[in-house]
Amino acid sequence: MAEIRVQGLRKEFGALVALDDVSFSFPESRVTCLLGPSGCGKTTLMRIIAGLERATRGDVYFGGQRVTHLPPRKRNIGMVFQYPVVYRGISVAENIELPLKSEKLSKAERTARVAEVVEILGLGDHVAKDITQLDNGTRQKVAVARAVARQPRIILFDEPITNVDANAKLQLKRAFKELTRRLEQTIIYVTHDQTEAMTLADQIALMQDGRIVQCDAPRELYNHPSDVFGGWFLGNPGMVFVDGTLSANGSGTVVTAPLFPAPVPTAGGASDEPATAVTVGIRPEHIRVATGDAPGAVAADLLRKSITVGRQYLLSLRVGDVAFKAKVTPQVGESLPARGAVWVTLPPERVTLFAPNGNRVDATLTQPR
Amino acid sequence: MNATARIRQGLYYAVLWGIAIVFFLPVLWVILAALKTKKQIIAKTPVWFFEPTLDNLQRVIERENFWKYLRMSVFLSLGGVMIALVVSFLAAYCFSRYKPRGTNFLMFLLLSVRMVPAAAVVVPVYLMYAAFGWKDTFLGMVLFYAMFSIPFSLWILKGFLDGVSLRYDETALVNGGSRLHIIFRVVLPQVKPGLVAAFIFNIIFVWNEFLFNYIIGGKSVTMVPVQLQAGVNSGGSADWGYIAGLSTIYMIPPILAIYAFQKYLLVGMTFGTVRGEV
Repeated sequence: MAEIRVQGLRKEFGALVALDDVSFSFPESRVTCLLGPSGCGKTTLMRIIAGLERATRGDVYFGGQRVTHLPPRKRNIGMVFQYPVVYRGISVAENIELPLKSEKLSKAERTARVAEVVEILGLGDHVAKDITQLDNGTRQKVAVARAVARQPRIILFDEPITNVDANAKLQLKRAFKELTRRLEQTIIYVTHDQTEAMTLADQIALMQDGRIVQCDAPRELYNHPSDVFGGWFLGNPGMVFVDGTLSANGSGTVVTAPLFPAPVPTAGGASDEPATAVTVGIRPEHIRVATGDAPGAVAADLLRKSITVGRQYLLSLRVGDVAFKAKVTPQVGESLPARGAVWVTLPPERVTLFAPNGNRVDATLTQPR
Repeated sequence: MNATARIRQGLYYAVLWGIAIVFFLPVLWVILAALKTKKQIIAKTPVWFFEPTLDNLQRVIERENFWKYLRMSVFLSLGGVMIALVVSFLAAYCFSRYKPRGTNFLMFLLLSVRMVPAAAVVVPVYLMYAAFGWKDTFLGMVLFYAMFSIPFSLWILKGFLDGVSLRYDETALVNGGSRLHIIFRVVLPQVKPGLVAAFIFNIIFVWNEFLFNYIIGGKSVTMVPVQLQAGVNSGGSADWGYIAGLSTIYMIPPILAIYAFQKYLLVGMTFGTVRGEV
């Protein structure tokens, strides 16, 4: 149980910069998900924390202790990889017990620890079985149990449920949720799957191109991405982006964009420039679509509607030459025509503005007076 | 299945069996000869039906030094191959995990001693052994057979170790395991089929090895194959009954071993790249 802190961590593989001077703290006894697309450096960061990889420069601290030069076995960590690593030829219980044997624990203590993790992970029916009789999902549970049974102060998960089939995935996710609720270790969980991160994390650290771009609680990250990347990467589909302009009028600043019938006043975001380009971002499920006109709505063309997960409807829409997607509830979706004219409203409080460099603009839209 | 298909399949099996039996004929000849009298063995028209006799086998077993030679065969084969397995497993682990510069070339060099005809290397090996004073010694012979068995074992085991994900090592490493723990407790059990394959593959070679044993083993460290040759020159003419009897007894262990481990043999011949069901 310790906070993990990395400072000025840099890793280069030849010309490729995998980690670009990352400084970050993983809080004690919490689950932090490292989320990002493939190749963003999340696995490299985790491997450096584990000691399996040497950083080009920078330091790693566990609590107050500098561990940069310690070998993995002296770091007191547990780790679970993408492919279930289990030892063939011995039973599930022996698999879990094996690393405990080098820890100078009494037989009774070892048995107690094995029993405890077996119970948490629901492996009760399998303890006596040989590993080869188990499917991938259960094998991964065994690998997790083995890492947890040692009671390390830090546990690292490297995409542990990527390689199991869909059914087992759900089950494993549930088991992880239960496990992380009961453990008090500091946990880092690497994944590229946002639903996994949303379900399991206390906080999500979003990575892009070797940097941590934002770290927040899942909902906060989802609703208020600090840059365009977060908006685009999270959500399915990601945020809808439309070019707009932020300009001053007599009483304050207003945003103009094709999806607003009239300029929308903002709070904050004042600038000396007469007009600056901004990107207007909104989650597809926050866009309101209706058959009739309403205040703040613009006329749009519904090009296509299709059913997605949870019987929600995904709509392809167009306003002028701006094409975008919206997601609506089953009720709304059913009431809409298959194609044709509809009305679209962007609730101002749901809109996030981004500057041309991709960063969020510190301004919120208000209801037009 | 229609008639033509049935005939095709019948032919197919007939050819298959035919070829297999042709390959088995020399062995069959030896086994039958072991049960014949001297006259029946050298009869001009092969004798197919005869009353089997155990005289030859009895003569083999009762002959002076039979058990000594057999014991020597067992100890040399097992000793040499076991040493080879330990050495080549560790070497293969190193090659597979640390990938030292020039791994491929080194692996090639090691195998080269098995690429040239044995008769070509027997002279330098003899000179080497004479210089070391290892000639005619049990230890020298065991070490030679270890050296003889290491290349193939190394190739087979490296094939297997390359198939064991590095994540095994890393998992054990973060779980607090030392390198020795990783090698022997974590990785070794994963390549057991490879060890069996390397064992069975090399034991067949060493068990039947003649030339080196004859040249550098001398009189004191003699295995059965060299003793067979003694039967050829006994009393002016070849004693075929003795040779056939000794051969028959001597081939029982490898035949049993091959039969029991044939799936591993395939693995061995393909250096671990074709796994089958092992």
